[in-house]
Amino acid sequence: MLRINLLFSIGLFLLLSVSAVAQTQYPIFNDRKIINSFSTETLDKGMLDFRVAHRFGDMFGEGGGWPTFYGLENASDVMIGFDYGITDHLLAGLNRTKGSGALRQLVNTYLKYKIAGQNDTRPDALSVAFLGMTTISTQQKSEEATSINSFPKFAHRMAFHFQMMAAKRFSQFFSAQLSLGYTHRNFVNIDDINYVLNIGLAGRFQMSKALALVLEGNLPLRFETVTFEPTVPLGIGLEWMTSGGHVFQLNFTNASGLSETDYLSYTRSQWSEGQFRLGFTIARQFRIR
Amino acid sequence: MKVAGVIMVLVALAVLTLGLKTEQVPGANESVAALVELFDGAITPNRPKLDYAYVSVERGRDIVHKGLSKDGGRKSRQQSKHFTCLSCHNVEREDPDLARSSAANRLRYAAENEIPYLQGSTFHGIVNRNHFYNGDYIKKYGELVEPTRENIREAIQLCAVECSQGRELQDFEIESVLAYFWTLELKYGDLSLTEEEQRIIKESYETGRNKPQALALLQGKYMDQSPATFVDPLTSQNDEFSSFKGNVESGQQIYELSCQHCHFNNNYSYLLLDQEPLTFKYLLKNMDKYREHSLAQVVRYGTSPKGGKKAYMPLYTLEKMSNQQLVDLRTYIEAEAGL
Repeated sequence: MLRINLLFSIGLFLLLSVSAVAQTQYPIFNDRKIINSFSTETLDKGMLDFRVAHRFGDMFGEGGGWPTFYGLENASDVMIGFDYGITDHLLAGLNRTKGSGALRQLVNTYLKYKIAGQNDTRPDALSVAFLGMTTISTQQKSEEATSINSFPKFAHRMAFHFQMMAAKRFSQFFSAQLSLGYTHRNFVNIDDINYVLNIGLAGRFQMSKALALVLEGNLPLRFETVTFEPTVPLGIGLEWMTSGGHVFQLNFTNASGLSETDYLSYTRSQWSEGQFRLGFTIARQFRIR
Repeated sequence: MKVAGVIMVLVALAVLTLGLKTEQVPGANESVAALVELFDGAITPNRPKLDYAYVSVERGRDIVHKGLSKDGGRKSRQQSKHFTCLSCHNVEREDPDLARSSAANRLRYAAENEIPYLQGSTFHGIVNRNHFYNGDYIKKYGELVEPTRENIREAIQLCAVECSQGRELQDFEIESVLAYFWTLELKYGDLSLTEEEQRIIKESYETGRNKPQALALLQGKYMDQSPATFVDPLTSQNDEFSSFKGNVESGQQIYELSCQHCHFNNNYSYLLLDQEPLTFKYLLKNMDKYREHSLAQVVRYGTSPKGGKKAYMPLYTLEKMSNQQLVDLRTYIEAEAGL
């Protein structure tokens, strides 16, 4: 079951080995994340982006409705962390999420590199970025040998995600992104398999200078039979940018987790069952160079 | 032979004398400050104290351009997290006529020479000035401007702490900045002098006569201070507004050389002012409102540093952006917004 993936190491090498050049002038997306998915956007060198995200409980269905005040009294996942611009096109991130899948109390680190479109200053710019992420569960070790958090080895706490994203700004009003991702968890439940591929599609509809509507969907793929039925994480959000470096987002999504190593593998909830939740993300940039 | 020898000696002396006289004529690269000191008989207090440890032109240049310096092996701390001196000041000449302030001429000159059009006065010739934080700046900084008005070192320090919201500069850093500023001093060739005026100055320079007249002539050719007049915002509700007719080309120059100097590519502000119709519509929608997002308000009042967000926008005085130019800017924005 233990398969340490070399793909992540190769990804890291690719990310670090390409030199940085000038900044794309027109942002394709307003934030480094769309809802849950990463966008191709990076930070300028020396910029720190402090991020807090929250996903409440199911609005309807068994866990929602009036008894939980439509999910607002539950927290399915919480994230706090920051991104930092090492160069204009290389971003490093560190965050901690509560986790909502099988593994909990996750520390996520990642590098994102914009590999194409760095000099594209056209209003209809295209950019391509790679992302490599490592997640370590800091969950307490269980004595129960069949439990996923029995963690026989330290490596069993780890999961990896590698993703390529291509985004294009079609006009000032509309941008879209296509992404391909590969997630590898070193240790999974007996009814699951270690890898998950995903194809993601996202869009931004800019409604005014400050307001945008964002949509995203990720199709998780396993080429082996599993006993459970994974669902497609779908989200819709309203994004508000301020002139002070803040991006606020209110969203609704059926994904209960926040990190790629979590929600892409463990989403089981369905919109049609009322198992979607209100969430918000607050991002604030600081210039620390 | 003796006669020939005497003649040769006399000719040699005459050539030497002529040669010396030629060297004495102020050349285009002659320091204006040195000429003023020669005619005035007093040394300007703006001269840097180069005998201080760690003082150097290079360190001063680094502080002004980058906000810190590693020169001489002694690395200084970042002066401000928010700005460098070049956020608001040029280091190039920006007035075609150094003797008078004209916003229209300065914008034209900035466009021709592709330099930013900014709120602060240029550092070119700053050491030739004797007064700082002039006019209405007392309304903004109160008694803080008093020590700066005739003291360039105090002016630099006030700029460091208040304008750039940074740390105090140490003495050797101020002297280094001054040393760098002296590389940007006015030269004799920068002044617009008629032939007659040049003759008077040359005569005084060579003979030492009529020094007060030569001094007055020299000092009349450049401003020894930058006037600063604060005015209220000009919106379409003002009666005065209808008396202006906007010029799109001038407005575009202001947008690109002034607004986008800070509001593009995350230079100093997160508010992106690009060339998109959405941006122009946003500016236009807020133009006549009484809020910080109104361009008319923010140009004249600026914004204030706040806890947690000390980066702010300095205001434009009437001398740095005229009301005509504001109407030009508005006209350009209206055109780009599709109105």
